[in-house]
Amino acid sequence: MYGTLAIAPRSIRDLAPVVGEEELAELARLARPLRGLRILNLSITAFGTGVAELLSASVPLMTDLGLDCQWQVVRTGEQFAPVNRAMYMALGGRQATWSREMADVWQRYNAMNADLLTKDFDVVVVHDPQPAGIRSFVDERRRAATRWVMHCHLDISSAREDVWLVLRQHVEPYDAIIFEAESFAPSDVRAHGIEVIRPAIDPAGPRNMDLSPEAVASMTERYGIDTARPLLCQLSPLDESCDPMGAIDVYDLAREAVPDLQLLLVATVVPEEPLARASFDEVARRAMDYSGVFVLSGLNEVGNVEMNAFQRAADVILQKDLRRGFGLWVSDALWKERPVVAAPRTGLLEQIIDGETGFLAESTEDFSRRVVALLRDRSLDARLGAGGRRHVRENLLITRYLSDYLRLLGRLTGTSG
Amino acid sequence: MIGEERVQEIRDLAAPLAGTRVLHINATAFGGGVAELLGSLVPLMNDAGLRAGWQVMNGSEEFFQVTKTMHNALQGMLIDWTPHMREVWLHNNLLNAQLFDEDYDFVIVHDPQPAAILGFIAELRHRHPGGYWLWRCHIDLTHAQVQVWDTLRPHLEGYDGAIFTLADYVKEDLGGPRTFVVPPAIDPLSPKNAELPGDVQQGILSRYGIDPAKPLLVQVSRFDPWKDPLGVIEVYRAIKREMPDLHLVLIASMAHDDPEGWAWYERTVRRAGDDYDIHILSNLNGVGNVEVNAFQRAADVVIQKSVREGFGLVVSEALWKGRPVVAGNVGGIPLQIVNGKTGYLVNTVEECAQRVLSLLRGPEKAREMGRAGREFVRDNFLITRYLRDYLRIFREMRGIKPPRGGSAATAIQVLD
Repeated sequence: MYGTLAIAPRSIRDLAPVVGEEELAELARLARPLRGLRILNLSITAFGTGVAELLSASVPLMTDLGLDCQWQVVRTGEQFAPVNRAMYMALGGRQATWSREMADVWQRYNAMNADLLTKDFDVVVVHDPQPAGIRSFVDERRRAATRWVMHCHLDISSAREDVWLVLRQHVEPYDAIIFEAESFAPSDVRAHGIEVIRPAIDPAGPRNMDLSPEAVASMTERYGIDTARPLLCQLSPLDESCDPMGAIDVYDLAREAVPDLQLLLVATVVPEEPLARASFDEVARRAMDYSGVFVLSGLNEVGNVEMNAFQRAADVILQKDLRRGFGLWVSDALWKERPVVAAPRTGLLEQIIDGETGFLAESTEDFSRRVVALLRDRSLDARLGAGGRRHVRENLLITRYLSDYLRLLGRLTGTSG
Repeated sequence: MIGEERVQEIRDLAAPLAGTRVLHINATAFGGGVAELLGSLVPLMNDAGLRAGWQVMNGSEEFFQVTKTMHNALQGMLIDWTPHMREVWLHNNLLNAQLFDEDYDFVIVHDPQPAAILGFIAELRHRHPGGYWLWRCHIDLTHAQVQVWDTLRPHLEGYDGAIFTLADYVKEDLGGPRTFVVPPAIDPLSPKNAELPGDVQQGILSRYGIDPAKPLLVQVSRFDPWKDPLGVIEVYRAIKREMPDLHLVLIASMAHDDPEGWAWYERTVRRAGDDYDIHILSNLNGVGNVEVNAFQRAADVVIQKSVREGFGLVVSEALWKGRPVVAGNVGGIPLQIVNGKTGYLVNTVEECAQRVLSLLRGPEKAREMGRAGREFVRDNFLITRYLRDYLRIFREMRGIKPPRGGSAATAIQVLD
């Protein structure tokens, strides 16, 4: 038995005002042949990650659709933590120490977790590669009786060779491997089925729920932000992968045309390790040179509702760079009909259609030019805002994610209608 | 918010201090209660006519690691305090002392990280740099590890004053500075305490599956044995037998690098089992200040069942929101709860359950306590009282007599 999570029940009907009856009927139709299907989702953590957010939104909805859907967390230990961390970094193509001993620890923890799988499931979905070795160590009868899915939420296309070699022998026998974008898969991966399921936002979650203008103003003004003056906002990890320094450069340049401009940088993850902390401090120190630049993070105990308010308060949302992952917080902004100017990176290209849902820009000058244009022409804001919301409704809401999953489950179990 | 009379009192206290140059020095501009406090206090000092500033000390990555360890050791954790760590701490203080070239009337140095700066400045200039230097200690030194305290203590002896949070925290063997006691305070305008628009409050509750029509208990605390989250669950279970629709929200701020916190988190989750009416939330679910604010306001009774506590300022946060509080009779909590008037002080699970149940059954009494609690906090634990205490200390140091009339609520104690 793994660590189970108590997730409050939730009704898919709550989404009817947002997505409409037709889409709910379609979900019900897809779910009907899958009623009672026993699905186990396994993840490394219960919260604090995008994976956990997706699971806490989707698992109760799957249950409400009639599937027997569970979410459990694998057992880890002190020895496993640094190995997990190193594997995560190395798979993302980043600097990490990796050794033979670490590979052994990884295998041992996966084998121990395999022993904990004592109930029968029709489908086991392992989220992210770190616990993906479990399948290899499960007894043969159970392994054969179960359909195995590895849902990889990381971009592992530039994974370090030696780490990928350790992992690959364990994941390639899976019945399906899901990536968030086609380009996130390693070029040499062989598998029974490679699937692409884009992540999604929960329109009813605290980061996207409706807020009155008064509520937005009061939450924003408390940090010294003047809601009467134009505001740029980038809400992302504040490390070099998202170029927050570049966002300050954009602000600095745009300020020449719009002198009362403000910039708010909000860290979506609390910078805890020394490296992340150092780059955060660097941003915070540079921000101190400008009275119009604000830097906030979980260290100020900023939560989802405030992030929601900040995006609503912003006139333009920036995403200066994105070297890893999907950047789903941009969809949060599009859903709120905020115009976005973003760098043309894989995950962002799924969200920003240039001139339709936002603008793509590369250099500081391009960014600044787009920002100033958006601040001067409010009709442009309205057009992009509407386009962005439509794009998210059609492609990046949790209902679309559920429908992708139901289709895949139908195919895997041979029960699709 | 505090009334004309109190405002006038602050003006009177501040009048002879107009233009006084005050500098606060601490280690970080972000995160932690000290930074939060300074963010509120410094503008208020300026508003009162002083010329107050705030500087954050520079330090290497290693320095911040070392001072974190130091901080833990001073709070009672056993660590291996090496000569190298001592060297890193001193060296970074020396570098900051070399950068210090201004003059102030009062310099307030917060916590141990920058505490050695004064000694180095005096050494570099061959004399005390002038003005009054005060060391403000925000942590509980009662169980401080001896080697670490012995490293710190000699660097404090040149200070003109030392300010502690509770009389119990004052170190007997600290010779030199005059000692003062100033309890902490809350900022009523911060996101954690400010009034919330109704739609935000409702929205947050419904997103987390809380039905405002059902009775709700809330505890906001770390998950550790001293805050007794398992005891809170027992209290909830005992009452749940009588009131089946009861809900409990436990909110913690979790750090990734705190294995003990995680172990207790897991124990708490396991104790809750599959009871969906127990909601265990943390910053990692995106629960921040505004969410905490909303849950506290929605609570029928706020619990703080600590068995050991620092000051426990979260009690004042709840009282300010007009909620009755049932809390452990430890640390700074008895200063905030007038037993039977603004809440109840308890020692056991049974006692706690009985008091909470009586408040749930007697909403009239609960409301009355909530009102009394808010008034009590208004007088004693708002940031304005904190400002007043500083002004009194400044006057005291300069030998200015107290203004006539004075205040009923005198939180500051002069101990020598």
